[in-house]
Amino acid sequence: MDEAASCRESESCHENVNGHKILLRLKSIGKSVCSEYSIEKDLSSIVLSPTVHVLVANLFLLLLSFLCSFTVGALISSGVCCIISYNMIWDIRKGHHRTCFIPWNCIKDIYIVEAISLHRVLYNIVVLIEDEVKGSTSSHTSLKLIPLFQGTKPRLSCLETIYQSIHALLRNESGTCGERSKNMSIDSSKFILTVSHCLYEDQVGKFDWHQNYVGDVKFAFGDASGKRGIVATALNVVAALNLKTGNILWRHVLERDGSISFMSITSGGEALVILEGDKTLVRAFDPVTGALSWEWTAPSSLPVDRVSWAVSTDKLYAVLLNDGVGFAVQQFNIRTGAVISKWQSSAPWVQNERQVSNKLLFCSILYPVKSLDKPGVFVDFGSSNTVKSSQVVIFSEQSNVACKAVSSSAQWVINDLSQKSYVLLQFLVKNDELHIITSDCLSGTTLQNSPISVPWPSSLEPELKTVICGSNKDDLSSCRLLLHTSDEAVTLLQHTGKVLWVREEALASVVATEMMDLPVSDKDAAIEKEFDSKEAGVLGMFGRRLVSQALQLQHLMQSVFGLDEPHQPSGQRADLVRDDFGLHKMIVVATKAGKLFGLDNFNGEIVWQKMILNVDTTALQLFVQRTTRHAPYPAQCSLLLKDKVTKESVLYTFNPITGLGSRKNLGYRALQTMLLPVLDAESLRPIVLLDSSEKVHIEPREAISLADSFASSLYMYVADPATGIVRGYTFAQSTSERLIAARVWEVVFQPESQTLVNVVGKNPQERVHSQGRVLGDRSVLYKYVNPNLVAVVTQGTDSLHKFVLNVYLLDAVSGAIVFSISHKRAREPIHLVHTENWVVYTYFSEKWRRTEIASIELYEGKTQSNSGSFSSLIAAPQPLVERQSYILPAVVQAMKPTVTEKGITSRHVLVGLASGAVLELPWMFLDPRRPVTVTPEMREEGVIPYMPELPIPPESIINYNKSLPLISGIHTAPSGLESTSLVLVYGLDLFYTRVAPSKTFDLLKEDFDPFLISMVLIGLGLASYTTKRLASRKALKQAWK
Amino acid sequence: MQLYHLVYSVLNILILVCLTLAQRDIEPNQDVYTIEGRVFPPDGPISNSWYSQTRILANGGEFIGILRKDNSFVINNVPSGSYVIEVVNPTYAYEPVRVEINSKGKLRARKVNYIQTSTVDPVAYPLALTPLARHRYFQVREQWRATDFLYSPMVLMMVLPLVIIMILPKVMNDPETRKEMEHLNSLTRYDMPEMSEVLTSFFTGGEKQKVKATRNKKKIQ
Repeated sequence: MDEAASCRESESCHENVNGHKILLRLKSIGKSVCSEYSIEKDLSSIVLSPTVHVLVANLFLLLLSFLCSFTVGALISSGVCCIISYNMIWDIRKGHHRTCFIPWNCIKDIYIVEAISLHRVLYNIVVLIEDEVKGSTSSHTSLKLIPLFQGTKPRLSCLETIYQSIHALLRNESGTCGERSKNMSIDSSKFILTVSHCLYEDQVGKFDWHQNYVGDVKFAFGDASGKRGIVATALNVVAALNLKTGNILWRHVLERDGSISFMSITSGGEALVILEGDKTLVRAFDPVTGALSWEWTAPSSLPVDRVSWAVSTDKLYAVLLNDGVGFAVQQFNIRTGAVISKWQSSAPWVQNERQVSNKLLFCSILYPVKSLDKPGVFVDFGSSNTVKSSQVVIFSEQSNVACKAVSSSAQWVINDLSQKSYVLLQFLVKNDELHIITSDCLSGTTLQNSPISVPWPSSLEPELKTVICGSNKDDLSSCRLLLHTSDEAVTLLQHTGKVLWVREEALASVVATEMMDLPVSDKDAAIEKEFDSKEAGVLGMFGRRLVSQALQLQHLMQSVFGLDEPHQPSGQRADLVRDDFGLHKMIVVATKAGKLFGLDNFNGEIVWQKMILNVDTTALQLFVQRTTRHAPYPAQCSLLLKDKVTKESVLYTFNPITGLGSRKNLGYRALQTMLLPVLDAESLRPIVLLDSSEKVHIEPREAISLADSFASSLYMYVADPATGIVRGYTFAQSTSERLIAARVWEVVFQPESQTLVNVVGKNPQERVHSQGRVLGDRSVLYKYVNPNLVAVVTQGTDSLHKFVLNVYLLDAVSGAIVFSISHKRAREPIHLVHTENWVVYTYFSEKWRRTEIASIELYEGKTQSNSGSFSSLIAAPQPLVERQSYILPAVVQAMKPTVTEKGITSRHVLVGLASGAVLELPWMFLDPRRPVTVTPEMREEGVIPYMPELPIPPESIINYNKSLPLISGIHTAPSGLESTSLVLVYGLDLFYTRVAPSKTFDLLKEDFDPFLISMVLIGLGLASYTTKRLASRKALKQAWK
Repeated sequence: MQLYHLVYSVLNILILVCLTLAQRDIEPNQDVYTIEGRVFPPDGPISNSWYSQTRILANGGEFIGILRKDNSFVINNVPSGSYVIEVVNPTYAYEPVRVEINSKGKLRARKVNYIQTSTVDPVAYPLALTPLARHRYFQVREQWRATDFLYSPMVLMMVLPLVIIMILPKVMNDPETRKEMEHLNSLTRYDMPEMSEVLTSFFTGGEKQKVKATRNKKKIQ
């Protein structure tokens, strides 16, 4: 059944009684029924005379009465609304303001009863309710009758219609349990039809793209067919890759806590994955479908962090290495997890754990610890790869065979060449080339005539994860090598030296991102250059204008005659220029691996990439110092990182369009950073850095005088989660040689009772277009828009309430706490969004065991204290606070508001859910002013009535069926169009789309057809011409008569 | 009555205290249990991606169950508590179920009701989860319909005056209606005096003249 089509409205029971029109409106949305019964004084009855000459007037009057009934409303009207998704019948009576909610599941039946009063028979609809009364001793049910339409006394025929519709619903609902819940899901999605903005099916992929990733690969092997590669990654993802294309065939995201400590292929071909955590889980996956083959929990007595695992035909071995003593082995049934046997063995050569790493045991493909005293294949590379001369030792079943020492770090031993010999693969990165040397492990002779060399950046260290050979195992040239590099990329290399594909898995752990406008094309740049230099005289300007217009004409001619050859502006791709609507942007992405990417936002293609070596990416920050709007200067971004060894700050400054940049070691540890709100002579925003000894630095250093001129209005705050202290600094004492930060205020959030969880300021680029909100009585409620407001979230532990969530709104300039709120028994995950004059945050309510979303809105009141610019130092009146909370039936992973160029478009909140959906939630739903009882003023204001549970309609899921696991953040950026906001969702996957919260009001509709319109115009023109001719002919004829 | 209230409130407080105490007693190394169930796939052939795209999440991914070939699942190592089990599939919607494990390891499944959290609407355990419907992510494009076209304001604006211009004169030509109209006109003539006449008479002030005029007219007739 098509549910969309079942939304219909029917009107029946028009009756005229004593000049009163009785109207029964029945509205059914899906399975829900709304009936409205109204009596209105009929305005149109006077004009309903049968005479014809008043027909025109009648028409207008009818229209007028229609309008009247819309605006004035019926005199008395009463309605009943059954919305099954909300489990209730909702009885509204306009005249008396009475709303009563009846839980749907309590309703036993519905009747029409008759009563005689004052010699008249009155009819009434009555709902029979089964009410559970909880007494002190036992609970019993009682039956109650609730009459509907008490005040309006509808006629029997109307009542019958209402009765039929509700009764039909009741009958349907009392069907099977599954059926009932089926309706539920559909209705909840259908109910809020008015505000959902959704996609048409043919728009899929038109302005969105989705890239799948698996994360930093830890383990890999090829399956039996040689077509699939199974990988396990640091993000606890198990996936199968198509070895031909590198695409993901299937993917499972395992539990977040814990880490995958082992993966191997079993004799049956399944991928065995061991997830270490509180409890160690052993799972095996079918390599073709990804279905679970078996799952069991390892005994908790096993010290999992020191165990090495190995697999044989139907057994799993857990080898516990004891330094210098030997090892203890436990043998499990691989399918059930039952312990088969345990033994201990002495192996004095096990010097320390570091030497015999997991990787080495992982090599033991064939004969792991099989016999009691003799270990199978063990390979020892000395102490990891750092030692120049490493030794390969192979213990076979019969005898100990020692490989010859090899000069450089060897990486892999394969013994699949018909079991006779062991092949050793060595990797050498030299002169931007990767050399692979294949040699026989025992004899040491090189197996190939010439070493294979592949072009390779010398900064990347290859690490061989697996060798995948097809069915022909003897021929080494058919083997493929799966390499993992230090930039988290995965490369599949044919043994002949051909790179089959590369997956940039660094993009699975994005830390920071920005969207940059593209530079204007050369043509536009030439026009802009004309206005740049103002010192030229009038004549000079005129001459330049002539030249540029001649150039434009030339370009126009070229483009008209198709002579326009695509020339590349300064070595870039030709299409990377700004478009008319500012929709085409460069997405700059900084990843956890220290790799920077520039992505084209139209298709997600990597335009440039840059690996920054020896850096720590925790607390990484990305700044846009100069946008592309300052034409002669290129755009500039900066990335603040830490050095891997010294932990001192490193600033990497780069051009976001080309990726070219330079690194600068700052020599101190930055505590807090800030972009100056003003541009310097080169249109660059300098970065102000506060180091750990509270000294202030500025990058570039020349901007110090500029900063000094603004120093009196510069403030900074630092929040330290360890001590719970939030401190404010002023720069007012700075001199032109040195910037000085002086402490102004300090707020201490007692660390023993609460911990700082999150500090969220406002986006400095955001704009608030409307100053206030127009109320129902046409007065304005002014917003409290404080750009210095910071939301501080702390999580406290309390002996009685266990978890206490505190939200403080702090003025970062004056240190005043503007507002604070505390939620008892509320715990993480906490996500907070802070823009305009509102704060929205989600938390998990322990008490009710559900995710709740709370919103706080701040208003100044009916008068505005400072209409110009806001000042935190002039004591503003305490804002009025509106607050409300709602139930969100999902688990939240990330939240972000949409942002547009001028802030005129209404804001939506994008919520990334644990189910992989990204929900576009209109602010209207989160409005704290949503009233429980609807007053006419509220209705006038356009506030929707309060509903405790927010719906999650599938239409407002912006990523439709493309589930995004492990969402870690959402980035929104304005486009050149006011209506459109660009969205990048990152996490394990990247998903880009654009949203239009108030619909695309500044764009022509997609189905706008200029052809049709011009055809209609031409047609009308022709018709008028011909009729004119015809009319003149007729006039002529009549004149002749 | 008051005494009863007092006792009741004291009891309530006692229960609360007991509850909080009981919650604090949870040890880190407690017993763990297993939640079992089966997901019924939608009708029709199962695609290969069904097993990897269908995820069973307890409390939004705190614990994870993975489908077996026979569409059954287990969620291992779950300590006692309350869990919302949901089946996540990009194409099909499933109803979530709340599973409660008490400290003795007894499992109970009930419907998720976030608004009235205390209502118990039991569901069979082991869980049997059936698809509710297909997710409808997309809006249906409006089809071109003749009625829509006709009722669009532009067309109405064009057609209605046309009707008035074309049909009204035709109707007026009908002799019967004309007669009726004349009749009506004659009726209304006396009811509603002509506005201009009233005004002129009012401003000129001479009612006698007018009366004379009418008399003159009568004479002429």
